[in-house]
Amino acid sequence: MNTPLMHYLVWPLVKFLIAFIIVQVLVAAMNWIERRLLGLFQARLGPNRVGYKGLLQIIADPVKFLLKEDIVPASAEKVAYFLGPILPLIPAFIVFCLIPFGPPPTFTVTRVNVGLLLILALTSTGVYGIILGGWASNNKYSLMGGLRSAAQMVSYEVPFGLSIVGVLMICGSLDLVTIVRYQETNAWNFLPQIVACFIFLVAMNAENNRTPFDLPEAESELVAGYHTEYSAMKFAFFMLAEFSMMIVNSCLMVTLFFGGWTLGMFGIGLTTDVLRHMGMFGGILGTLIFVTKVMLFMLIYVWFRATFPRFRFDQLMDLGWKWMIPLALGNIFVTAIFILAGQERLMYWIGIVSIGLAAMYLFKPKPKRAAAPGKVAHAS
Amino acid sequence: MEFAIFFFFAAVAVIFALVVVLHRNPVVGALSLVASFFALAVMYVLLEAPFLAALQVIVYAGAIMVLFLFVIMLLNLQHVAEPVTRPVQQFLGYTSGAAFGLGLLYYIVKYAVFAKLPAGPFVTDARTIGIKLFEAYVFPFEMVSILLLAAIVGALLLSGRQYQKREAAP
Amino acid sequence: MIPTHYFLILSAILFTIGVVGVLTRKNGITIFMSIELMVNAVNLTFLAYARQFHQVHGLIFVFFIMAIAAAEAAVGLAIFITLFHHRDTIDVDEANLMHW
Repeated sequence: MNTPLMHYLVWPLVKFLIAFIIVQVLVAAMNWIERRLLGLFQARLGPNRVGYKGLLQIIADPVKFLLKEDIVPASAEKVAYFLGPILPLIPAFIVFCLIPFGPPPTFTVTRVNVGLLLILALTSTGVYGIILGGWASNNKYSLMGGLRSAAQMVSYEVPFGLSIVGVLMICGSLDLVTIVRYQETNAWNFLPQIVACFIFLVAMNAENNRTPFDLPEAESELVAGYHTEYSAMKFAFFMLAEFSMMIVNSCLMVTLFFGGWTLGMFGIGLTTDVLRHMGMFGGILGTLIFVTKVMLFMLIYVWFRATFPRFRFDQLMDLGWKWMIPLALGNIFVTAIFILAGQERLMYWIGIVSIGLAAMYLFKPKPKRAAAPGKVAHAS
Repeated sequence: MEFAIFFFFAAVAVIFALVVVLHRNPVVGALSLVASFFALAVMYVLLEAPFLAALQVIVYAGAIMVLFLFVIMLLNLQHVAEPVTRPVQQFLGYTSGAAFGLGLLYYIVKYAVFAKLPAGPFVTDARTIGIKLFEAYVFPFEMVSILLLAAIVGALLLSGRQYQKREAAP
Repeated sequence: MIPTHYFLILSAILFTIGVVGVLTRKNGITIFMSIELMVNAVNLTFLAYARQFHQVHGLIFVFFIMAIAAAEAAVGLAIFITLFHHRDTIDVDEANLMHW
C-alpha cells in the first residue's frame, strides 16, 4: 500500500484524474451556465430547448463539435495549424496538479516548494497556442488576433505577477498550502491586500481574453480573431483551454485571497484542523467549499462579460502599463512599510474601509431627478 | 531513473538547438528554441534549483521568446528568403565551431571531472536566494534594474522614431 | 545524483551549436537566437558548478544573466525592427554601414 511506487506515481495519478474529471465537468457546465446567465443579464432566454431548461446542451455541444466538418485552409502552415489548439491545453491541464483542492495531504495532488511560481510559469506559456494558431491560419485577421493576444498577455502578465507579491510578503511562502494555512489563522488575504485582489481580478480577465479585454477575438473588428479559420473539434479545443485557464485563475484567486478550502478566519470556523477532525467527510466538505468559491468567481467572469463594453486596444495598453503596474508597485511598497513597522493587522482596516466605501457608493440613495430633463443635464 | 530523465531531456535540448541553427524558417527556429529552453528548465530541476527552473520558463519561454515570435510575425519574416551563406564561410564556420567544441570537451574531461558531490542537501529555495540577493548583491541588483530601465528607453527610442517619421512624411 | 561533468558536457555541446549558428547564418533573428542559446548554456554551467561547490552565488549570477538577457532581447529586437524598416531585410550582411 505504501510502496514508493504507489506513493510517487499511482496515487498522484489517480488524484490528478479525479481533479481533471471534476474540472472538465465544471468546464462543460460553465458553458451552459454562462449562456443562460448572459440570457438573464440581457433579458432574453438563452439555450432552453434541449432537456430541462436546456441542461442537455452540455452534451449536445460536444456532439455537435465532433460531428461538424473539420476544415483546414489550403494555405495554412499544416503542422503549426494542428499544434495551435493543442499547445494551450497542455499547461492548462498540468496546472491542476499544483492546486490544493482540499486539506493536504489527501486532497492535494502534489505539494511543491515553489508551487505558485510553477503555476505562473505554466500559465504564461498558454499564449503560444494562440499566436501559433493565428499565424498558421494564414489569414490577416487571425494574425492580427494572435499578435494582439501576444502583446496583451505579455503586458498583463506583469501586474498579474506583481499583485501576487504582496500576498507572498505577508505569508512568507511560495507554497499554496502554507498560504492557505496562514489565511485561516489570520484574516483572508483580500482584507489586507484589497488593492492586489482588485488588480488580480482585472489582470486575470485580461489574461483569459475575456470580454472587457477580448480584443484578440473582437468580432466587430477581426471577424473572430485567432480562431477565425478553426472549426469543429479544433475550435472546441481553444474553448476548452480558455475555460480551463479561467478555472485555474479562479482557483488561484480563491487560494491566494479567499482562504482556499477553509471557511473561517482567526482560527475560528471551518479551519483545516476542524476539517481534519471530521476525517474523510471533512476533506470532501473542504473540497466542496473550494469548488463553490471557484464557481462564484466563474460567475463574476460572466458578470464582467455582461456588464462592461470592450476596451480599445490603446486603452487596454494604457490601463495595463499606466494604471495597473504602478498601482501594484505602490501596493508592494505600502505592504512593505506595514510589515517593517510590524503592524500587519492594521492593514485589515484598509480592506474594511475600502469595502465600506464601495458599499456606501453602491447603496447610496439615488438623487432626485431634475424636474425638466434637458435643462440641467450635463451642466459641467 | 534520474539518468533516464537527464539523457532524454539532454537529447531534446540538443536536437531542438540543432533545429534552431539549421532550419531556414525563423518561426520554426523560435519554437524549437522554446522547446530547448523547456528541456533546460528540466535540467535546472535536476540541479536542485526549481526556483530558477520556474524563472527560466517565466522569463525565457513566457516573455523573451514570445517577443521573438511577435517580431518575426510582425515583420512577416518567414517569406523573406535568406541568402545562402558562401561555402567558404560555411566551411570555416563549421570547422572552427567544431574545433572550439572539441577544445571545450577536452578541457572539461581533463580538468572538470569531479569525483563526487559534497554531501547534504543544497538549499536553493526562494528565501535563500532572496536574502543573498538583497544583502550581498544589493548593488548589482540596483545596477540591473537601471540597465533594464535603460533598455526600455532604448527600445522605445529605436522603434518609436519610425512612426514619428511616417506621420510627418505625408 | 548525476555527476557535474555530464551537465558541463551538455552545456559545451549547446554552446558549440550556438557558436556555429552565429558563424554560419545570415538571418539576424536566427543569429540572435543562437546567442540566447549560448547564454543558456553558460547558465547551465553556472548552476552545475553552484551545485558542485554548494554556493548560492552561482544561482544569483544566473538570475542576473536572465535579467540582462531580457534587456538585450528588448534592445536587439528593436534594432532589428528599425533595420527592417530601413532596408526591408534583416540579413546582417546588408547592415554594413555604421549609420543607418
